[in-house]
Amino acid sequence: MKKLFKEQKFIVLIVAIVLYVIFALLSKEFRRYTTIIQMLDFAYYVVLMAIGVTFPLITGGVDLSIGTGMICYALVGGFMIRNYHWPVVLAMLLSVLFGLVIGILNGTLVSVMGLPPFLATLCTCMITRGLGTLLVNKQAVPWPTNKVPEGWFHSIFKLTIGRATKIPTGLIPIAIIVIIMMFVLNHTRVGRYTIAIGSNREATRLSGVNVRIYHIAAYAICGLFAGLASIAYAAATPTVQPGTGAGLELDAIGAAIVGGVSAAGGVGSIEGTVIGVLFIQILKIGLPFIGLEANWQQIILGLILIGAVLVDVIKKRKEAAL
Amino acid sequence: MGEVILEMKEIDKSFPGVHALDHVSFDVKCGEVHALMGENGAGKSTLMKVLTGIYSKDSGSIIFDGKEIEFHSTREAQEAGIVIVHQELNMIGDLTVAQNIFIGREPKKGFRIDDKKMIEDSKALFDRLKIHIDPTEKMSELTVGKQQMCEIAKAISHNAKVIIFDEPSAALTEKEIEDLFAIIRDLRSQNLGIVYISHRMDEIKVITDRVSVMRDGTYVGTLITEDCTKEDIINMMVGRVIYEKPKEKSLVAKDAPVVLKVEHLNAGHMVQDISFELKKGEILGFSGLMGAGRTETARAIFGADPKQSGEIYINGKKVEINSPEDAVKNGIGYLSEDRRRYGVVVQKTIIENSTLACLEDYTNGAVINKGKEKEITEKFIKEMDTKTPSSDQLVMNLSGGNQQKVVITKWLVKNCDILIFDEPTRGIDVGAKSEIYKLMNALTAEGKSIIMISSEMNEILRMSDRIIVMCEGKKTGEIAIEEATQELIMDKATRDIVA
Amino acid sequence: MDKIKQNPIVKKLGFNRIVLVAVMLVMYFAFCALVPGFFGSAHILGALNYVYFLGFLSLGVTFVIATGGIDFSIGPVMFCCALISGYTLMKFGVPMILCLIFSVLIGFCFGLWNGYLVAYWTVPPFIVSMASMNIAKGLAAVYTKTQSVSWPRSTDPNGWFRNLVMLGKIPMGLIIFLVAAAICSFVLNNTKFGRYILCLGSNREAVRLSGVNTKKWEMFAYVMCGLLVGIAAIFFVGVYTTVQPGYGDQYNNEAIAGCVMGGTSMVGGLASIGGTVIGVLIISLLQEGILALKMTKDVQLIITGIIVIVAVYADVSARRRKN
Repeated sequence: MKKLFKEQKFIVLIVAIVLYVIFALLSKEFRRYTTIIQMLDFAYYVVLMAIGVTFPLITGGVDLSIGTGMICYALVGGFMIRNYHWPVVLAMLLSVLFGLVIGILNGTLVSVMGLPPFLATLCTCMITRGLGTLLVNKQAVPWPTNKVPEGWFHSIFKLTIGRATKIPTGLIPIAIIVIIMMFVLNHTRVGRYTIAIGSNREATRLSGVNVRIYHIAAYAICGLFAGLASIAYAAATPTVQPGTGAGLELDAIGAAIVGGVSAAGGVGSIEGTVIGVLFIQILKIGLPFIGLEANWQQIILGLILIGAVLVDVIKKRKEAAL
Repeated sequence: MGEVILEMKEIDKSFPGVHALDHVSFDVKCGEVHALMGENGAGKSTLMKVLTGIYSKDSGSIIFDGKEIEFHSTREAQEAGIVIVHQELNMIGDLTVAQNIFIGREPKKGFRIDDKKMIEDSKALFDRLKIHIDPTEKMSELTVGKQQMCEIAKAISHNAKVIIFDEPSAALTEKEIEDLFAIIRDLRSQNLGIVYISHRMDEIKVITDRVSVMRDGTYVGTLITEDCTKEDIINMMVGRVIYEKPKEKSLVAKDAPVVLKVEHLNAGHMVQDISFELKKGEILGFSGLMGAGRTETARAIFGADPKQSGEIYINGKKVEINSPEDAVKNGIGYLSEDRRRYGVVVQKTIIENSTLACLEDYTNGAVINKGKEKEITEKFIKEMDTKTPSSDQLVMNLSGGNQQKVVITKWLVKNCDILIFDEPTRGIDVGAKSEIYKLMNALTAEGKSIIMISSEMNEILRMSDRIIVMCEGKKTGEIAIEEATQELIMDKATRDIVA
Repeated sequence: MDKIKQNPIVKKLGFNRIVLVAVMLVMYFAFCALVPGFFGSAHILGALNYVYFLGFLSLGVTFVIATGGIDFSIGPVMFCCALISGYTLMKFGVPMILCLIFSVLIGFCFGLWNGYLVAYWTVPPFIVSMASMNIAKGLAAVYTKTQSVSWPRSTDPNGWFRNLVMLGKIPMGLIIFLVAAAICSFVLNNTKFGRYILCLGSNREAVRLSGVNTKKWEMFAYVMCGLLVGIAAIFFVGVYTTVQPGYGDQYNNEAIAGCVMGGTSMVGGLASIGGTVIGVLIISLLQEGILALKMTKDVQLIITGIIVIVAVYADVSARRRKN
């Protein structure tokens, strides 16, 4: 029990709950059911991105391309529906597949070609941003709305009955995904070797593990989840705007690090990341309700990211001093 | 003792410029602990690396379990049943004990790694070794001793027939060493062959059955442990021809002032309560075996690593040294044992390296006076006879000896009065070696004082005016050069650890 | 091939740089062939407009990369400088000169913050960059209340600062940039600061053990970068007049591309200001050519991304071969 209290994710969870209570006390609007629904709407894609990026972060790398990548995949999927009347399922599949391909590309650049992860993914960030805009010819792409039959995919995340009744169905698939990914990280080779690579890549290689493949796999998972996130994003926003998406990766990476993933690699958990997302979303959605301009979110998010890494640095220094 | 399980015959191995192994033979029997001894650089590690497939041999043969074999990687050796427990542990700190033991060969149940079986198997291994470690604990949270036990468990889980321990006790406490010995005895009784590399004489007496000694890449001989004395072994280890005559008496005047005084220096377990004095114009030799704490002492004095306590006086005045910056300001220069990592910036030129420690003397305001810089560098290149086409040659294009001269130049340009030379001639050919010796003598004649850390007995006896011997992080002796002999130094350096 | 490389003149100029100049010329003539009317001063001036601000960004990030670090907050920070100082000018009528100094000062503060966190707290540079990028965007948006800011036109009373970019028909911006590059080159190669950051980028521990305060000098590299980013902001508004909050990311990659293409190593320790200048010219020419070909900015993003990957891979694999 004492150990639990010392865990960063547990502390963050408490802080998130406290934060929620404070916001709820200060603002009547914040307490409303619709606010929770709205908060969840914008949390789905962040949580998917964050789960994905947890893997490269644990290997000691990072993926900066998830934000613009997600937009790119959403654009391409929506474009196929609108211009070529693809069935929605097929378009979703395309989005996810596209994400997977970019993820494998990132993994190859980092693992095989030996580029610094932040640099390689900064490049793919720009490339996906350009590519997305080019492929859809610079037009904003709306996915089908929930008023038309093709808009069924909205109910994956939010079931609307009548005009006002909204049920956050998205919690179910997200919960399933979280459980699956917890299993993957903790009980399969992919997860095990992701941690091992981040902890000591050379020792892992000398133990006979094909580190190249597993290193790529971590980035592939991240890309795949950016693809999944693109569907959630399309469901949450009426239209997908080309050229956007820069900065969205910060929400996800920040959440993962706040949730206890070490920026130096080797340490991290899915449940921690999810808690991190919860914390960041409450903060982001809550701040405007207590009269703080939305733009403060970015500043505070930046500071929180630095703060979370500093906690890690100080912890390590203390350990080294012992 | 059973039949011979592993036999290495006439193994020969050369590296460019070094004959590392000169027709060395070595064998291990089932159910015995065979010690492999020798000074630093005698070729023990190289021999084991040839055995486990890290190096390929030039000639000779290895017969294991009745068959001639040659491995190409440690993994192949492992699969055949020869496992090495390294000095530096190959562990993945963020995984648990069980996960470390089975990494790369996890038992599976469908997609899932069968953690339960892994934990059970680990427990069984630990039971067999009669040690108590929780397999679900994170590796990084164990003590070094327990981590080593895990390495051993991992070795056994490979169905090892021969286990090599490479200085296993270096980082262990006495209690842990006892546990380790219990395990080794147990493994011996299970008919495994064990190679035990160590410097600790008394451990050898306690745990081993036979002792083989190597010296300068050659095989000297094998003794039955029971029948030999510590002196026998030391004589075999040091019995090399001394090419250079040792210094007969100290060249330092009796009344020479003390330039550096260190009192009760403590820094981690490798530096415990070290006190000594360095006189003007003296070469103070620091002798001891690998891991005796000499480099750590030097780094603590120089401020490169934090120290817990202790006082340093320079010319009788107490000084605070908390960083290399402070040390350099006080006129101390440090020549590291690892030249390429800590000494030179290889991608930069000789000039840039030479003035690195005192750039402020070669600048007008913030701007570097390149003419002056070149002038001083070329003066030293000439004086020290550094072999280079020009002063703006990149240091990576120089030979080891010349790189070393560049580092020395750096400290001379700074005009440091106290120089710490940590293994100044490591990896340097014979010619360059004697040049460095000449240089050191010239420096002390000028009134500079030198602390020389060296693992080479020749060097210590030839160069030092006085010798301090360290062992296990403690100062174990201070010997005037007039009284110093190889045997005396080795005796102090291998002080009894286990009673 | 090796013979050419060993030629003293080639050695002096740098083989790498000669190749880059050749690439630039080939590119220029290719655009001339593809786009009718590309030949002539109009497009060259167009490309130069891009050089002015990108050049300063690239020069700045060269210092950071020389230490083995990275800063990809420079684009948004540049926007932040331009927005905050421009808004101050617009709202409070501060004298132009103070406003320009203010811009540089904001850049300086960001540099200090980034450098302090990286050098003294060992926060990974990419994390610091990511945070600063968002802080810069957020600060600018909060301060300007999310409005875009237009700087004075040349006919306005405060428009004199545009003379820094174009004085009559003289491209002052180019002259200033080249002078700045010369100064940077001097700083990097002839001052204590430059010597220390190049050496610590190459072997930090050896420099520390030589008694150098490596933390301080590493921080200064980021400060230098910040200052140059503040100057870049002035040239950006001098050419493009209007800045919008929330943007600026794309210039990160272009600045880094100019730098790594010119032979500055991502691993640290090797940097060439001359190379960076040529790199910036190539990127700017590319941008102008792509626009002239009626293609969009997006093509530029993709090409720049690929250029960086190729340039860094070349450096990484060259080092691998050496070891």
